[in-house]
Amino acid sequence: MLPSVQTGYGTPFNNMDLGVHDYIIYSLDHSISIQQQLHHHIVPLAYPTASMLNIAAMQLVYSQHAQASPQSMVSSGGMFSHLSRTDRILTLSALENLEIDLYVLPSPFHNNAGMVKYVTDAVNRFSLFGYYSEWPAYGSTRLCPPGDRQLEFFPLTWQQVGYPGVSLGYRDFRGFLITMAEVRT
Amino acid sequence: MKRDPDVIVIGAGGGGPVIAKELGELGISVLVLEAGPWYGNKKWPEPNENRGAAKESSDPGDLDGSLYRRQLTRLENDMDDQVSGKFRWGAADRRRTPWYRNIPDPALLWQSAGIGGSTLHYYANSLRAFPEVIDNEWPINYSDLVPYYEKVEATLPVEFAPTTSKEALFYYGADKAGFSLNQTLDVTSSGYRPQPNAILPPNEHLMDPNYSLEELSHMEGCTLSGHCGQGCPYGPALDKMAKRSTTVSYVPLAMKTGNVTFRPNTFVTKVLTDYNTSGNRQASGVQIRDTWTGETEELRAKVVVMAAGCVETPRLWLNSDLPYNPWVGRGLTNHYMDMVTGTFDEETLMGILGSPSTNPFAGHTSGARLDYPGLGMIENIGESPGMSAQLLFGFSQYGYNCIRQHEGDLWDQQGRLVGSELEKAMEDYSRTLTLSAITDDEVQFHNRVELDPHIQDEHGAVPRVHYEPSKKSKKRREQLTRIATDILRKAGAKKVHRSNLPANYYIHLQSTMRMGFVVDTSCEAYQVGRLYVADNSADFDALGGPNPTLTTQALATRTAELLASKYF
Repeated sequence: MLPSVQTGYGTPFNNMDLGVHDYIIYSLDHSISIQQQLHHHIVPLAYPTASMLNIAAMQLVYSQHAQASPQSMVSSGGMFSHLSRTDRILTLSALENLEIDLYVLPSPFHNNAGMVKYVTDAVNRFSLFGYYSEWPAYGSTRLCPPGDRQLEFFPLTWQQVGYPGVSLGYRDFRGFLITMAEVRT
Repeated sequence: MKRDPDVIVIGAGGGGPVIAKELGELGISVLVLEAGPWYGNKKWPEPNENRGAAKESSDPGDLDGSLYRRQLTRLENDMDDQVSGKFRWGAADRRRTPWYRNIPDPALLWQSAGIGGSTLHYYANSLRAFPEVIDNEWPINYSDLVPYYEKVEATLPVEFAPTTSKEALFYYGADKAGFSLNQTLDVTSSGYRPQPNAILPPNEHLMDPNYSLEELSHMEGCTLSGHCGQGCPYGPALDKMAKRSTTVSYVPLAMKTGNVTFRPNTFVTKVLTDYNTSGNRQASGVQIRDTWTGETEELRAKVVVMAAGCVETPRLWLNSDLPYNPWVGRGLTNHYMDMVTGTFDEETLMGILGSPSTNPFAGHTSGARLDYPGLGMIENIGESPGMSAQLLFGFSQYGYNCIRQHEGDLWDQQGRLVGSELEKAMEDYSRTLTLSAITDDEVQFHNRVELDPHIQDEHGAVPRVHYEPSKKSKKRREQLTRIATDILRKAGAKKVHRSNLPANYYIHLQSTMRMGFVVDTSCEAYQVGRLYVADNSADFDALGGPNPTLTTQALATRTAELLASKYF
């Protein structure tokens, strides 16, 4: 769902290079933990989410709402990666509208509409926040524990949208329309 | 603390530190327990890395502004990421997952753990309720609240937001749309005005190039850095930071009384009760769990105040097996909202502002508003790029703009944007004005926080949040969104995008322990003596729309007086 990034120096980056998929995987795998007797379990969501996307894509292809290409975007990718961008969006849309058979989804999505809706939406939010926040600029440290990450360069997307990044302030004071002192009297 | 405190307060967010400071000034000893970390305290120089040598702090000398500045990096992912950000709802140790809440919808629920709670990331909008709502609906009168509003406004302090480019454009559009300036704190009719914000006014030298921005950021006053949502750490000392999160306002004031101790990294898992001589149930203490070590303890006090927020306060009641009350967790109201983003061309902006961009990232994150009693309100918002992209173009009940047939012509596009349309929208970021249309949400019994019957975390059954707005709320949101769109068009926007947010965007939750149903007019629980509530959950309803923090702080100030005179 993300655009491609051009650095302006002729080197095209794509989303794989920005590592946003790693951000989504990290976020999905670190969203939920539960307590069971002595064990505090993390419930990883990335793998079941990928399965869910593939199963939903398969249902769309079988019902002829989407068309699979013989080429995959990634090596040994599942059905979702064989779809065009529009068909991938249609797949996400079908999932959030629950237009698929929930029975065949893997746990924790199996017959769990709330979880399907929450995670399908979260994949969208994670993609955009990962891409347009400073996360990609943590570079080689981006998968380290949060406290060990270091910014290695100025975020490319911030450059692209004209955000100056961390600021000490802006000299854009245009006065007060009203003040508390005026209103109190 | 060597001996039992007189009062235990659960949660150091918007309300807890206020009641603690007020009680401390009356000579009552208070222990405030907070689940999250403490930023800006020398006893925890690396609050996310290790548990530190100390368990609690009561000496204002422990507070350190330069440490606060180092820890609050102002980077949106580092601070605001829901999974691993410093302001997330979770333990201090960011290697761990956040604390789970079951929100079975397309949902985003803002809750923040840490000394300061959600005021760490709030925009400091500190306005009063609409008087007619309190007078017509609440079991207390607006005039009961006014002296407490005034006290909190003076203490934080609150000042009307300065105008920057985006506010100037908003006022221009609102004026053209037929609204006029509402020069008041007590809103009885519709109109626009600057946000009354708990942010110190800009330093008088901000526009003087002889002072560098680095120098100014160490002086008193807002530098218009736009980092409200990342917890602005600019100022000469911790208690003089420009944005007045409770961690820099009420927390230092509470510590200065000499009677208040704060203990971070401490999750309260149960309210303990006993029976008084008349056989009535009353609070007697709490059971806690250290978030670093998992060690549990029981702490005793004469009075317990719940200020853990609208989700955790009812969850704690329910997990404590306190007496059944059908309204505990019920009647949840939300700032059910939508957002519209106008894009302007340079020429239009030059004509209105004398500059070619709005630079939404500069100034108070939300500095201007339009009040509309009966419907709610409209606020401008200028977030950083990742936050903006996520909320404006990645979160919608409309679905994807590219696969929908457009209905009507009010908006050029709606819903989620992908690929090149997303790229284009974000390329225009510096020439946008975003308005949020926030509904006066109606109380509904079916909207609720309850315990999930199947899922437990280390603190017991996790909360499950259910919310579906009423027909009236939906209608109000639609009307407000159209008014906001009109303001953008009148201001000269060339293109207007409607986010069409899901209803389950949870922000400013209120009224899950409603006054008149769960707590009485002094905010003491009807069914459990010596147990009080001092957060948004005690609200009778959604105040008519205004952001709830100031009302919670005014009520907490009032509750402190009533509690002290009853039990001390």
